[in-house]
Amino acid sequence: MQYTIHLFGLNHKTADVEVREAFALADGGILERALVSRESPIREALVLSTCNRVEILVSGAPEAEVASLVLSRWAGHCNRDAARLSPHIYAHAGTGAVEHVFRVASGLDSMVLGEPQILGQMKDAYRRAVGNGSTGVILNRLLHKAFSTAKKVRTATGIGASAVSISYAAVELAKRIFGETAGKKAMLIGAGEMAELAATHLLTSGISHLFVANRTFSRAKELAERFHGTAIPFENLVEHLPEADIVISSTGAPQAIIRARDIKDVLKKRRQRPMFFIDIAVPRDIDPDVNSLDNVYLYDIDDLREVVEENLAQRKEEATRAGEIVLEQVESFSHWLKALDLSPTIVDVLRYGEDIAKKELCKTLRRLGPDVSPETAKALERLALSISHKILHEPIVFLKRRSRENAGERFLDLIRRVFDLDKETVPEDAHGRGADDPACGCEDEISNKAGAPCVPTSSRN
Amino acid sequence: MTPDNLLFLAVICLYLSGTILYLLGVLWQAPLLRRASYAAAIAGFVLHSVCLGLSLREEAGTMLLRGEFYFSLLAWSLLLIFFFLWWRLRMDFLGLLASPLALILFLSSQAVGGVRQLPETLAGLFFGLHIGSLFLSISLLAMACGAGVGYLFLERKIKTKEKLSGFARALPSLSTFDRANQWAVTGGFPLYTIGLVSGFLWAKLTWQRIFSWDPKEVVAIFIWLLFAFLFHQRLFMGWRGRKTAWLAIWVFCLSIVSMLVINFFMPTHHSFAS
Repeated sequence: MQYTIHLFGLNHKTADVEVREAFALADGGILERALVSRESPIREALVLSTCNRVEILVSGAPEAEVASLVLSRWAGHCNRDAARLSPHIYAHAGTGAVEHVFRVASGLDSMVLGEPQILGQMKDAYRRAVGNGSTGVILNRLLHKAFSTAKKVRTATGIGASAVSISYAAVELAKRIFGETAGKKAMLIGAGEMAELAATHLLTSGISHLFVANRTFSRAKELAERFHGTAIPFENLVEHLPEADIVISSTGAPQAIIRARDIKDVLKKRRQRPMFFIDIAVPRDIDPDVNSLDNVYLYDIDDLREVVEENLAQRKEEATRAGEIVLEQVESFSHWLKALDLSPTIVDVLRYGEDIAKKELCKTLRRLGPDVSPETAKALERLALSISHKILHEPIVFLKRRSRENAGERFLDLIRRVFDLDKETVPEDAHGRGADDPACGCEDEISNKAGAPCVPTSSRN
Repeated sequence: MTPDNLLFLAVICLYLSGTILYLLGVLWQAPLLRRASYAAAIAGFVLHSVCLGLSLREEAGTMLLRGEFYFSLLAWSLLLIFFFLWWRLRMDFLGLLASPLALILFLSSQAVGGVRQLPETLAGLFFGLHIGSLFLSISLLAMACGAGVGYLFLERKIKTKEKLSGFARALPSLSTFDRANQWAVTGGFPLYTIGLVSGFLWAKLTWQRIFSWDPKEVVAIFIWLLFAFLFHQRLFMGWRGRKTAWLAIWVFCLSIVSMLVINFFMPTHHSFAS
């Protein structure tokens, strides 16, 4: 019996924040279990829900009408009307669904092209689904393949190589200057949203201390408490500058608040240790002349935006190459899926045995030399082939009997793997969490800024 | 072909392949090639050490009178310093400088030949100290020069907000470059001083004259003054970054001039050949 893979979903391109919020699935496990219940035609199900997308991946009998079933269960689960859901939905089946899964895992479908968080979120969702027992041979294989595809895309293309958000770009530049950002001290001047975002990134990259200066001192205090930093009064800000290696300024001041001659003194006090100024205010807070001082680097919002845009353009180029890799992998997966049936598997097993028999026959004949009569050669061939057929008889009988059972494709997969009929390996870390996946529950920070609440993908089992 | 020649050829091949592999690794941005180039350089270095050790054991007396030995020794100490920096600072990009330079020095060690007669006191303690500390100091300066060029290149890119292309992206950070400079200055200046002082003491013992207005000695004094200035500014005035990078480049260029130009083209008792 053949199975078809279906995928239903909505993402940031098809649905706006309200819809995504309304149909988010905070605990996908419940829906997964409901979908694979006994009377349902769906055999395997996986739910992926992040702040930018909800995807439901199922595998079931090809003739079954899964679309309406999945959508009604999904809407019912969120206590909403299915009619509101359907205009935002995209549906893929067969290789289309496979390709979509691979593209999502590789970050090619993300709002920020090539971002890596989605892979971690997929791994979490998959781990939960495995724990729930809602995945089987087909989805397991599909997800393993998706993870290895993502890895391949990441190593073979430069899609994840460069920073594509303002604050990432700032942190990356800081690393170019200081080497390690660990142990460095940073100062926030002005406590706006952008400054906060940059501070979060700096802290995750290992900044040891944060000073916060703001015109309204209470806000500075509030922010400092959140980041375990020190609030300083706005008037005393220059006195504290010698302690700061990285300064992020974002006040609404109409004219520059830091001038080049202030910094000259500051540098003397710092014994010329380098400083990095990031001015994200408009109009600018920091005198552009500061950049001409030795050991001082100043980037304003336009400079950073330029870096980001260049990097994004680069990623788009890489995405075409990544798409080719994805297509290759889809091909290889489809091949496996097609072979995951009784008769192709039996053919493959028999051919496996015959190949060995023929190879050994060749060797033996060569060793026996030229004076072997054709009759003897024929007899030897018959012997070799019949041994291989006899040995493989029992496994094939077993396969015929068991593959008719419920979830019989398990045994097909088992036999295919025992004899290595697909000639490929599942990566070792297919179940593990990649070391480079940040623990953040959100696909990217831009969505944070857009105000989308982040739905935790899963409670880890 | 004697075993000595074979060893010599092997060292050249290893250094050459190290250099080429490194260049290709940088051009194609293939970390595997770069790793292969380190392997080649390390193997070459080990064989080179064997080479030096063997020739010293066999004919210590005559070797010390040969110019080729000193070139070979300088190439060796250059790589020694490079490996040290690579180990401590992961400054692998200096390989771009170290392995070709070592190759050139090692090759030119064969170009300068000839034994010249020097007094018996030559192989004394002061002479060894003179050569050893100066060579180590020059190797440190070479690395500081490389790091300085890297610093200036990257600093310019960051200051002018230029896009960091493939090669610039692979460079270490500014602070790493600066640390290489700091080490070269704090280590190199005392070594240079020891080298000069022991040279003068040796001259006093050998020629009964401390200073003989040899062109090389004059230049060395000038380099020492410049180096002292760099040392002072760096350690006590808190200079760092661009200015120290430039100074290190100048000091190194001058020492190269003093070593090559003066040794080969001017009358000096430091000449390698007779």
